[in-house]
Amino acid sequence: MGEIILTMKGIDKTFPGVHALDNVDFELYKGEVHALMGENGAGKSTLMKVLTGIYRKDKGTITYEGKLVEFTNPREAQQAGIVIVHQELNMLGHLTVAQNIFIGREYMKGVKIDDARMNVEASKLFKRLNIDIDPTEKMSNLTVGKQQMCEIAKAISHEAKIIVFDEPSAALTESEVDELFGIIRDLKEKDIGIIYITHRMDEIKIITDRVSVMRDGAYVGTLISEDSTKNDIISMMVGRIIYEEPKTKSTVAKDAPVVLKVENLNAGRSVQDINFELYKGEILGFSGLMGSGRTETARAIFGADPKESGNIYINGAKVEINNPEDAVKHGIGYLSEDRKRFGIVVRRTVSENSTMANLENFMKGIFIDKKKENTETEKYVESLAIKTPSVDQLVVDLSGGNQQKVVLTKWLVKNCDILIFDEPTRGIDVGAKSDIYKLMNELVKEGKSIIMISSELPEVLRMSDRVIVMCEGRKSGELRIEEATQEKIMHLATLDD
Amino acid sequence: MYQIKQNPVVKKLGFNRIVLSMVLIAMYCFFAIFAKNFVSYNRILSALNYAYFLGFLALGVTFVIATGGIDFSIGPVMFCAAIMSGYLLTHYNWPLWICLIASIAIGALFGTFNGYLVAYKNVPPFITSMAIMQISKGVASVFTKAQSVSWPQLAHENGWYRNLIRVRVGNMYFPVGLVILLITAIICAIVLNKTKMGRYFLTLGSNKEALRLSGVRVRKWQMLAYTICGLLAGVAAIFFVAAYTTVQPGYGDQYNNEAIAGCVMGGTSMAGGLASIGGTFIGGMIISILQEGILAIGLNKNYQLVITGIIVIVAVYLDVLSRKRRV
Repeated sequence: MGEIILTMKGIDKTFPGVHALDNVDFELYKGEVHALMGENGAGKSTLMKVLTGIYRKDKGTITYEGKLVEFTNPREAQQAGIVIVHQELNMLGHLTVAQNIFIGREYMKGVKIDDARMNVEASKLFKRLNIDIDPTEKMSNLTVGKQQMCEIAKAISHEAKIIVFDEPSAALTESEVDELFGIIRDLKEKDIGIIYITHRMDEIKIITDRVSVMRDGAYVGTLISEDSTKNDIISMMVGRIIYEEPKTKSTVAKDAPVVLKVENLNAGRSVQDINFELYKGEILGFSGLMGSGRTETARAIFGADPKESGNIYINGAKVEINNPEDAVKHGIGYLSEDRKRFGIVVRRTVSENSTMANLENFMKGIFIDKKKENTETEKYVESLAIKTPSVDQLVVDLSGGNQQKVVLTKWLVKNCDILIFDEPTRGIDVGAKSDIYKLMNELVKEGKSIIMISSELPEVLRMSDRVIVMCEGRKSGELRIEEATQEKIMHLATLDD
Repeated sequence: MYQIKQNPVVKKLGFNRIVLSMVLIAMYCFFAIFAKNFVSYNRILSALNYAYFLGFLALGVTFVIATGGIDFSIGPVMFCAAIMSGYLLTHYNWPLWICLIASIAIGALFGTFNGYLVAYKNVPPFITSMAIMQISKGVASVFTKAQSVSWPQLAHENGWYRNLIRVRVGNMYFPVGLVILLITAIICAIVLNKTKMGRYFLTLGSNKEALRLSGVRVRKWQMLAYTICGLLAGVAAIFFVAAYTTVQPGYGDQYNNEAIAGCVMGGTSMAGGLASIGGTFIGGMIISILQEGILAIGLNKNYQLVITGIIVIVAVYLDVLSRKRRV
């Protein structure tokens, strides 16, 4: 391996109420892909934010290219050659690809922006990376995967020497992930050091050289990827070994009644003529590619977006659902794929978030019964293993996985019979993931019914009793779990006209 | 994870409000030293006259800001309510108590209209409240044919409303207004922190869409915040005329900014989702002492405008800083 480009030593960082980083060490070689793993809240993102100058460290040293450095903002880090590709993309949808890449350092022709030159430069960049994107395309027209490629191209254009990837594959389809790996291998050959934050175990062997593990803000250890096993890494992460059993046959009772029936549902181009039934005690998987209309279907059923036509029956009776209020009244809960925008209320506490959908049950006359609210929330904090100092903690201080559990708590407190989970484990670590799987299985055992939208095929196969596949706004097929395979699902998801 | 220990007394009262109270006391001491005859009961009563109507305005706008909105119309709406109800009293000889109710109703009406546009028609509150500011000024002028209105003096048969701010007891005055303002503030604090309505206000200020997707009828609650704000502007109008009797159409803008300044100074976040009624109360007091003090040390009123402006900037900047730290 090459020479060391970056050494972080004894990094310490405390936020009000949380000791986020506790004496953490990290080291990176030139041309190395170094995975950084750990449960949500383990401190991976915080460590990277310290490196790139978003946060100031309290203690410790950072040595970069042989010199001690201390970046005070992301721009300084960028100029020094350390760039981060964020999990949430920071792209401006109304600008073109080239304009996004060169934002803040536009090529000028006098006082005018030289768009032609930027397009040429962007094309050169893409050629270097073997990416096929038109620089004049509007950013909002690109898929999430392509947008990510643009973000990478932008990083390269900064003459980066270290690139940090924060869960780049979380929102990508399989072929896009392959493309991403191709690019990463290229970058490696150019001697760029890569820090790769991920939750996906299978990626470790494919793409990384070493893997460092963090737990509860502390550094646990580093392994050579080739010699490590999945169980090694997991036990370092959580201190216990998790074993998940895939489902081989449906656990729904033969005579289970239909709890939800959707008939000829239409809502724009993304939802065309959708028909399906959900049985009591069933987990119904919704599979398909990004943009196939799964989320839009869920939102239309839930009344979050207007629908054009279609009937919805609950327990056999036709119901009118025109807004989320109607849906909740009929016992439907919707866990959004976009936790930040549609799920949590970051500036309110854990308990306030938990009772949000069901405040009526926590009233004493005109006043909120704070005590009842806290006791009820504490029950779920314990049973879902939500990591928080107290139920009065603001949700903004929690990690992603724990925030997700808080949103789940909201619907559990509401005691909905029909739950729509949209990407329930997106961007969540193995520990929290297995907690949520366990919870889903318990819920259906209690007689609840779940629609689970998921982009991860192994997850769909592991959890579902039945799988519906969508493609371009239509239902392209339905599979019993006994007959479903990854290949069959992918085939249905990519049907040609 | 562990929690940093905090002094329980400090936690209970809130760090912000302790600092703010100290600012209030320090400011009073400053003027006591540098202004002539500042330490007198009359001075205090005069400062309180200002604090009453400003306090009601600031309490009202706290609800709106808690929902992530803003209302730049409260000053002119207060004037409009005072002028129209006063005109009903003096020109149409309506009974006094009906006029007082009319004042509150006019405020609530403007507030509701504002809230309706914001919540149901998705017009930005900045725009709607600016428009309503103009409308309320215009309506008042048209109604009175651009004349100023003078409410009756205490000796007049309809003068008892002036007892709402102070009652003569022997040789002294008892500040009834302060008691009413305090009670209103306590009710507001309870509404904001202990009831469903207050909870929804704060939640929709932080993430409206998440609240909607939880099955809550957010539009209704959002509109209601503006209604309450307008209603309290109508109450403020009563206390304004009780203190100063004469109102002129076409004015009132200045009080928007002072009320908002008092509110953000008290720790209510312009981004919504965080609000403190206690802070607003003290913030309103600070602004009132400030204006009285500035007059007392012989500077003209324009200095007050400058200082209030600076206070708004500093308070909002501190809020931005505190949020950055948390992200």
